[in-house]
Amino acid sequence: MKIAYKYLLPAFFLLALGSCKKSFLDVNTSPNSPVDVPPRTLLPNAEVALGFTNGNELGKVAALLMQYNAGIAGSQAGAYDQWNIGSLDNQWSNELYTNTINNLGIIVQKTEGTSRAYAGVAKLQMAYAFSIATDLWGDVPYSQAAQGLDENGFLKYPQPRFDAQQDIYLGNASLGIKSLFNLVREGIADINSPSILKPASDDIVYNGDLSKWTRLGYSLLMKFALQVSNKAPDTTRAVINDIVNNNRPFINDVNGTLDFNVPFSKANPNPYYLQDIGGTIPNTQLLSTRFYNLERSLNDTIRLSKFYNRPTGVYVTYDNGSPFAAPLPISSRSQYSTYVLGATRSGEAPIRLVTAFRNYFILAEAALRFGVTGDANTYYQNGIKASMISTGMTTTEISNYFAANPTIVTLTGTTDQKLQQIILQKYIASVGNAIESYNDYRRTGYPALQAPTVTAGDDPNIFPWRFPYTVQEGTSNPNQPNPRPKTNVKVWWQ
Amino acid sequence: MKKLRLLLLFGLLCAAHLLHAQGRTVSGTVTDSLGIKMPNVSVQVKNSRVGTKTNDQGEFTLQLPANNSTLVISSVGYETEQVTAPASGNLLITLNPNRQNLQEVVVTALGITKERRSLGYATQTVKTEAIVDKGETSLLNALQGKLAGADIVGSSGAAGASTSIILRGITSFTGNQSPLFVVDGIPISDATDESTISLYTNQSSNRSSDLNVNNIESVNVLQGPAAAALYGSRAAHGAIMITTKKGSGRRGVLDVTFNSSYSQQRVYGFPELQNKYGQGTNGVFNPTTTFSLGPAFGSTPSLFNGLIAPPNTTYYVNGAFYTAGQTVPFQAYPDNILSFFKQGQIFENNLTINTGDNRNNFGATIGNSQQDGILPNSSFKKTNVGFNISNYLTDKLSVKASVTYFATVQEGPTQGSNGSYSAYANVYRIPRSVDFNYYKNNYTTPGGYNNWFIPNIYNPGIQDSSAGAAGDNPYFAAYKNPIRSNISRVLGNVTLGYDIHSWLNVSYRVGLDTYTDRRKRSIAIGSSQVVRSVFTNTSGTTTGGIMEDVYYRNELNGDLMITAKKNDIFLHGLNANLLLGHGINQQKFQQVDQTGYGLAIPNYYNISNASNLSLTNEYEYTKRLWGVYGSLSLAYNNYLFLELTGRQDHSSTLPAAKNAFFYPSASLSFVLTDALKMNSNILSFAKVRAAYARVGIDPPVYSLDNVYTTGSAGNNVSFYQFPFGSVSGFSISAALGNKGLTPEFTSTLDLGLNIGLFKNRLNIDATVYNSKSTDQIVAVALPASTGYLNKYLNIGAMTNKGLELTVSGTPIRWKDFSWNVSGNFSFNRNKVTAIAPGVTSFSFGGVAFSGLAPTIAVGEPYGIIRGSKFVTNDAGQRLVDSTTGYYLNYKSDQTVLDPNRDWIAGLTNSFTYKRFGLSVLVDYKKGGQFESFTVSTLRALGALKVTEDRDQPFVLPGVIDMGNGKYRPNNIQINGQNFYNVALGGSTGSTTSNEFAVFDATTFRVREVSISYDLSGQSVNTKIFKNIRLTVFGRNLYFYAPNSPIDPELSTQGASGVGSGTATSGGLVRGLELGSAPNTRNIGISLRATF
Repeated sequence: MKIAYKYLLPAFFLLALGSCKKSFLDVNTSPNSPVDVPPRTLLPNAEVALGFTNGNELGKVAALLMQYNAGIAGSQAGAYDQWNIGSLDNQWSNELYTNTINNLGIIVQKTEGTSRAYAGVAKLQMAYAFSIATDLWGDVPYSQAAQGLDENGFLKYPQPRFDAQQDIYLGNASLGIKSLFNLVREGIADINSPSILKPASDDIVYNGDLSKWTRLGYSLLMKFALQVSNKAPDTTRAVINDIVNNNRPFINDVNGTLDFNVPFSKANPNPYYLQDIGGTIPNTQLLSTRFYNLERSLNDTIRLSKFYNRPTGVYVTYDNGSPFAAPLPISSRSQYSTYVLGATRSGEAPIRLVTAFRNYFILAEAALRFGVTGDANTYYQNGIKASMISTGMTTTEISNYFAANPTIVTLTGTTDQKLQQIILQKYIASVGNAIESYNDYRRTGYPALQAPTVTAGDDPNIFPWRFPYTVQEGTSNPNQPNPRPKTNVKVWWQ
Repeated sequence: MKKLRLLLLFGLLCAAHLLHAQGRTVSGTVTDSLGIKMPNVSVQVKNSRVGTKTNDQGEFTLQLPANNSTLVISSVGYETEQVTAPASGNLLITLNPNRQNLQEVVVTALGITKERRSLGYATQTVKTEAIVDKGETSLLNALQGKLAGADIVGSSGAAGASTSIILRGITSFTGNQSPLFVVDGIPISDATDESTISLYTNQSSNRSSDLNVNNIESVNVLQGPAAAALYGSRAAHGAIMITTKKGSGRRGVLDVTFNSSYSQQRVYGFPELQNKYGQGTNGVFNPTTTFSLGPAFGSTPSLFNGLIAPPNTTYYVNGAFYTAGQTVPFQAYPDNILSFFKQGQIFENNLTINTGDNRNNFGATIGNSQQDGILPNSSFKKTNVGFNISNYLTDKLSVKASVTYFATVQEGPTQGSNGSYSAYANVYRIPRSVDFNYYKNNYTTPGGYNNWFIPNIYNPGIQDSSAGAAGDNPYFAAYKNPIRSNISRVLGNVTLGYDIHSWLNVSYRVGLDTYTDRRKRSIAIGSSQVVRSVFTNTSGTTTGGIMEDVYYRNELNGDLMITAKKNDIFLHGLNANLLLGHGINQQKFQQVDQTGYGLAIPNYYNISNASNLSLTNEYEYTKRLWGVYGSLSLAYNNYLFLELTGRQDHSSTLPAAKNAFFYPSASLSFVLTDALKMNSNILSFAKVRAAYARVGIDPPVYSLDNVYTTGSAGNNVSFYQFPFGSVSGFSISAALGNKGLTPEFTSTLDLGLNIGLFKNRLNIDATVYNSKSTDQIVAVALPASTGYLNKYLNIGAMTNKGLELTVSGTPIRWKDFSWNVSGNFSFNRNKVTAIAPGVTSFSFGGVAFSGLAPTIAVGEPYGIIRGSKFVTNDAGQRLVDSTTGYYLNYKSDQTVLDPNRDWIAGLTNSFTYKRFGLSVLVDYKKGGQFESFTVSTLRALGALKVTEDRDQPFVLPGVIDMGNGKYRPNNIQINGQNFYNVALGGSTGSTTSNEFAVFDATTFRVREVSISYDLSGQSVNTKIFKNIRLTVFGRNLYFYAPNSPIDPELSTQGASGVGSGTATSGGLVRGLELGSAPNTRNIGISLRATF
C-alpha cells in the first residue's frame, strides 16, 4: 500500500502532466493544404477560372441557345438545346462565385495596399465575371458578394443581397453599389499605380504586360457601355466616345496580339474539347444545321471550316431541338474544329474573352446607333477581318472573300438593316464565346433565330431570356427571389 | 479498523464452515437443458453461507445443516433454481438459460464489469446465441430487430455493403453518428471509407463487418451517453461493447467449437416491371434508346412504328444487324433486368478453442467466410485469426493480451446512379425487349471492346457511334472493370494489472487498431468508363486505366486506471468503488490515391502499365486527445446504487487556448423489491433508475483555419487542374475555417424501470429519455455568393425524446417444451430547436443529389430532405398550366420527405421441444419516407409495371387558376408517355419536382427464422463431442411494405455520411435510395459442434 502512495500515484500525475505538454496536442495544422499563399499563385488560377467559367457549361448552354450547335435529344446538351436549362449549380457556385470571383477578391484584399498592379488586374477580371453573372441571371449578388471576412473572422455579408441589374451596371449610391464601370476604372487606376509586386510569368494571359491590362480595362468599358445601350444610351455614347476621342488604349490589333485570351494546352485542355471529345460525356452536340445553312448563305465556307470540321468531307449537321436520332456514325459528325479546339483539335486553343474583332463590332454599332466618332462601315469591316484573321484565314482568303461578297461586307440599308448586318457578323465571329452573342441577341433581337423543333423548359413558347436561379444559392440565401422569375422574364438591359 | 473488519468477515466465514459439518450429506448432478453436465455451478444452502461448486462432471456433494434442506443452484447466464434436498439419493438438477438475468454481469464503459442491478442507465445485452447460426456475417445486420432504440439500415444487398446504426436518434447535426465500437475494452474503428467519388464506386464495407460474429460472446449496447460518459466524446452516440469468447475458466477443460454454415441469397424486393411495351419512344421503335416507350409487343411491324428498318438505316438489335426493309424481331424479355442478379452464396467456417482456469486462460480462434455476391464478379471474403491469454504472473501481477488479425477482401463492380460509371445503373436502363442474355455472353466485341445496345464510339467492331458516353455493358463493367478492396487489420491489446492490495488495483491498458485498405479499380481497354479520357492516346479510343487508393487508419489508446474497492465503508452495507483514470487517444489517417491512364498492355493492371499518370492525391490527419476521469460507485445493501463520473478531455482539434472540456454524469439505481422486502412470486423484482449525463464532442480535424488548395474546377464533364505547364495555381478553399470553435454537448436525462414478474419469468425494461444537443459543430452551407460554400459553426440545438421498451418472458416452460418471447419497441422524436440567429434551415455543405438536399430545419426532425415541389394554391392543390396541361411551376427549397421513423418494433419467439428449437424474429418499422431513384428511373423509362396503362390519356390532378381568385379542376389530357416521363418528374431531375418518387417506408418483415436440432454427446453415449447443433435458417423471408413499390430498406449512402470520405463535413443522409442493388432473401444451413 505504501508503495502505491509513494510511487504509483506520483507516477500517475507525472504521466498526466507530461501529457499536458503543448506539443502533444499541437497537431492541428493541416499537412494537406497551405494556410497562406502569395498572390502570384492565385492569379494564374483566377485567370484560368474566368476563362473556364466562360467556356464550360455556361458557354455550352449559350452556344446551344444561339444555335451554333445542336444538342442531341436525350443528352444534357439536348435539354439545353430545347430551352430546358435547369439549375446550373456547379457553374454559379463553384465556377463563378467561389473559384473565380472569390479568388479575385482575395487577390484584391491581399494587394490593394502595396501591390496595386495585382489588385487592378483582379478588379478588371472581377468586373468581367460579375457581368457574366448578371447578364445570364439578371439580378445577382454583387455589392455584397465575396466581400471576405471582418476582423473577427466572420463573413461581412453571410447572405449577400441580390442587387438589381441596373444598379450593378450603373451603380446606386444610396445602396452603396459601385457600378461595373467604376470597378473597371478603379482597376485601370490601380494598374497604373506604384506596386511592389507585379505580375510576371504568373500572368498566363499577358505575361505581366500591364499596358495590355489597361487595354483590357477600356475594352471592358466599351463592352459594358453597349450592353446597357437600350436603357442608358447616354452612358453608351459618353463612355465609348471618351475612349475613341481621347485615344484611350483598347484591344484593337486586328491581328489579335492584344486579345484577352486565356490559354489552354494539350496537357490542360480547354473545356470545349472536354465537352465534345475528351471528357466522360462527349459527343452530345454537333454543328447545327441552322448555323451551317447561315454560313453557306454567306459563302463564308472557309471560316466555317475553321469553326467546324468535316470528318467525311461533308458537313454532317443536326437540327436544333430535333427529336430524331442524331446522325451516325459519331465519327462523321461535324464538331468544333481548329479555331475552338486548337491546331490538333486537342483542346489547345484559348478561350477568347475580349478580342479586337468584337471591339470593332462594338464600335460599328456605337457609331451607327449612337453617333460615336468614326465610320461604322470601317469598324464593321475591321471586325470581320480581325475575326477571319483569328480563325487562321490567310490574307488572300480574306481579300478574296471581301472581293466576292461586297454586299455582305458592306453596311447598307436602314439603320436597323445595318445593325442586323453588324450583329450577324458579330454572331458568326463569336463562335467559342456564345455568351456574347446570347447577350447581343437578347439586346437587339439579331440574328433572327427560329425556335427549336421541340421546346421545353420553363416556358416552351418563349425563348429563355435568362437562366433560372440555382438551388444551392436558393436554399442558403433567403435573398434569392422565390419563386424565382421564370426564364420568360426579360432582364433589365433588354 | 479496516483490517479488523476484514478479519471479522473472515472469521464469520470460518464459523459457517464449521457449522455445516454437522448435517447430512446430499449429492447430485447439474446439467443444462441439453443434458450437458455443468461444472463450476454454485450450490448453496438457502439463507446460509454453506455452499460448494460442481466438479468437472457436474457433480457436487454437500453437507446440509440440520434445519435447512433448501438448495439454491445458480450459474451465470442461467436461471437460478431452488430445490429441496430429498432425504436420500442423488439430485438431478437442470438449469435453464436465462434470457434476461437481472443478476447478470454486464460490460460497461472502459470494459468495467458491473452487475446489471446496479446500473442506473439503460443497457441491452445480446448473447452469442442470438446472433450466430442465422446466416449473417455482419454483426450489425445480425443485430437488426433485436435492440430497442437502434435504427439499423443496410445499404443494399451487395456483398459487403455497409450498414448504418443509430442509437436513440441523431444527436449531432453532422459528422459521424455511429456509436463507438469497443472490443474487449479497446475502441475500434467502424469507419466506412468511401473512395474519392463515392457515388460511382462500389459500396464500401464498414469496418465493424470485419469482426467475426462467431467469436463474440456478448454484445452490450449502451444506448445513452450516461452509460458511455467515461469514454468521452467518442461515445457521444452510445457504445457497442463487444466481448469476445475467452478461456472457459474451468481447469483442465478444453472447449472446442467448430461451426460451418452455407447459405444462398436471392434477390428479393425488386419493383414489378411491365412486359407489354418494348424499346423505343413515342410508340416508335429505336434500338439505341434506354426507354421502353416503344411499340406494344405484338404490333404489326411497319415503317411507322419503326419495327421495319427505315431507308438508309441499319439496326443493331440483340446482336444481329437489320438493314433497310427488314423486320426486327420484337419480344419481351421479362427477366432481362433481374437476370443480372445471380444467386449469391455464403460459406462460413469457424474454429474456437478455449481453455484455462479461474486465473489463467488461453483462447484461439480462426474464422473464414466467403461470400459470392448477387452482382456478377462480386465477393466479400473475411478471414480472421486471433488468440488471447490472461495470466497471473505472480500473485499480484496479471497480464491480459489479445491479438487478432483480419483480412477482408471485397470485390465488385461499380454501383450507384451514374450511368456512365456504374455497372449497376445501366442494368436499370435496359429496355424490356433487349435480350440481356446475348449481352451477357457477348459483353465484348470481337475486338475486345465494350459491346452494348447503346452504340458507342469505343466499340468500333460492332457499333461505332453514340450519343454521349453511354456507359458499359453491365457485364463488361462487372468482369472487366471491378474494384477490389483489400483490408489488412490488426487489433491488439495488452493489460497489465497489479493488485497492490486486495482493495486496490492499478492497471495499464494499451490497445491498437490499425488497418490498411488497399483498393484498386481497373478499367479495361475498350471500356467507355473512362473517367479521364483526356489522357487517352487518341480521341475516340479508350485505353483503360488504373486507380489505386490506399487508406491507412491507426488508433492507439492508453489507459491508466486505479481502482479501489471498499466494503462497509462508513456504515455497514455501504460499499464503495473508486476509479481514477488517465487516457490518451491518438488517431492517424492517411489516404493516398493515384490514377493512371493509357494502358500499354491489355489486362495488366499495374500502375507502371499506365502511360499517363495523373491525379495523385494525399490526405492525412493526426488527432490526439488526452483526458483524466474518475468514477465513484456507491452501493448500499445491494439495493441502492449511486454512480458519479466526470471526465476532462483535452483535444488537439480545439483552439489551443481553449482545448479542455469537462462533462459529468450521475446515475441512481434503486431495487425496490429488495429495499422494501416486497418481492413475491408475482412481483419478483422491481427497480427504478435515473441517470443524467453530459458528453462533449470535439470538432473535426483542421476545421479552425482557412486554407488554400490546388487550383481546379469543373465536374465530370469538364474540368481543369493546376499546374498549367510549369505554373502552379492555388485557390482559396470554399470551406471557411473557424478559430472560435468549441465542443458540442449532448445532455441526457434517462429514467427507467425494470420489473421482473412471476419469478422473473416475465421481465420488463422501460426507459424514457430526453436529450438535448447544443453548440452543434456544423459545416453550414453558405450561399455561394459569399465566395464560400460552407463554414464550421457552433450553432443550434436539437432534442431527442423517446421511449425504449423491452419485454421478455417465458410463457410456457414444461418439461420438454418451452416458449420464450422477447420483444422490443421504441420510438424517438427528434426535433431541431434552433440553428443560428436568422437561419431557419440549411443543407449539408456541398451535398445535393439531383436537387435533393438533406436539410436541417428548425421545428423539423433532423435530416429531412428538401427539393422542388410543384406550386400549389392555398388549398394545397397543384396548379396546372391552362394551355399545356402540365404543372405550372415548381418551387425550390420545399420539404420533400422526412426519413425519420414513427416507431420500430421487433419480436422474437423461440420454442424448444426436446432437442428441437424454433426461433422467429419479425420486425415492424412504422413510417419514414424515402426517395427511390430506382423506381423513378424505371418509371420514367417506361419499364415499371404501373406504366402499362400508358395508352390512355391522363389528366394531372390539380387545378387551373382562373385568374379571379378561383380555380377550376384540370381537365386537360396529356399522353401517357409524357405523364410518366415528364409530368411525374422524369428521373428526379433537379429542374422539376421531386415529390413523385417519395414513398412511405413502413415495412413488416420476417427477418429471421431458424430451426435447430441438438444432439448431445451424452445422449448417444459418446465423449467425442459434447453437442452438435444443426440449424436451418432463413433471413428476410418476407416483407410487406404496403406503400412502396420497392423494398424500403435500402439507403445507398449506407453507413457513411455524405461527403465524409475523408472530411467530416457531411451529415448522415437517410432516405435516399440512389439506385442501390436490391436486398436479398437468404436461406441456409449450419452445423455447430462443441467438443
